[in-house]
Amino acid sequence: MKEEPQETRFQRVNVAPPKTLGELFLGFLSIGARSFGGVLPWAYRTMVEERRWMTPADFTETIGLCQFLPGPNIGNASIVLGKRWFGLAGSVVAFLGLMALPFIWVLALFALYNDFSANPLVTSVVTGVGAAGAGLFVGTALKLGRPLARKPVAVVLVAVCFLLVAVARISLVAVIPAGLLLALLAARRNWL
Amino acid sequence: MTLVELALYFGLLSLISLGGMPSVMPEMQRFVVDVKGWLTPAEFIQAFAVGQAAPGPNVLIASLIGWKVAGIPGAIIALLAFCFPAAVVAWWVAELWDRFKDSPWRRTAQRAIAPIVVALILSGGFVLATPGSPDWRLWLIAASSAAAMLLVNVNPLWILAGGGILGAALL
Repeated sequence: MKEEPQETRFQRVNVAPPKTLGELFLGFLSIGARSFGGVLPWAYRTMVEERRWMTPADFTETIGLCQFLPGPNIGNASIVLGKRWFGLAGSVVAFLGLMALPFIWVLALFALYNDFSANPLVTSVVTGVGAAGAGLFVGTALKLGRPLARKPVAVVLVAVCFLLVAVARISLVAVIPAGLLLALLAARRNWL
Repeated sequence: MTLVELALYFGLLSLISLGGMPSVMPEMQRFVVDVKGWLTPAEFIQAFAVGQAAPGPNVLIASLIGWKVAGIPGAIIALLAFCFPAAVVAWWVAELWDRFKDSPWRRTAQRAIAPIVVALILSGGFVLATPGSPDWRLWLIAASSAAAMLLVNVNPLWILAGGGILGAALL
């Protein structure tokens, strides 16, 4: 990340997509293997800084689209980039590379946890980690929501959706289509 | 039968998970815990915690739920069910999206989706920090973690570790 301006100036010349499916697989494998605490920073480090598959601007654009689409963000990014570079085979290989090691990790960790879950201290620690993870969601929402704070209609929309989903526990299958429809109408009138 | 039901439901969630996994956490909890009773509220937050602490996309909590419900096949099927429908959408939309880069409806859609995604992620945090009846200790841990995330720029893994320590001290 250091020397950012210079990087940006020269990397148009330097970036090149992966040449083989094997390279693509290993790249995504190394993203998945190291992504403790969040995948995004590691995806950036691997694809932009280490392997120089794409420019920072290209990365931001791709992730921006994937955050907007349904489904896991980085999972979608593996599909989109795999397709761009190698077609269907690329999507499958990139997705499998990304998920393979974390899948094994998480099952192993959960198996280990189940062995010790009779121990109240272990349960307390894990529940604490869960609550902190919930806090990260709240933090993310506040971060994303900051630009909305100045738009009264957006604030009302967020509050109503929150009450319906979190407090009244109404199914998203009902809330999302209705909410989206209202939001689209509001956005067309420039209220959002 | 349970496995089919799980696959179909996760496939549906996949399509409505605007902004990713966090936005469907309330719905997943509602279905798996309240409606089906496959996991207790405490088991759900613990599976979520393990999913957060392991490396990789947080979508892996889907495979932990699948595992609880139907063993290793359940884990694989739940993960694929959650990823596949969205992957098909991404596959088709990516090109369209590039083509309409400057079109006004793309900007309208983005502005409309933003508040919905924010509300859903916020709900995810609230639901996860409130398994069963409200517990001030879990809320305190969640609030500290949110504050830490917004105020200090550290790897979230440290924040999760802090939550573990507070959990040991308080719970």
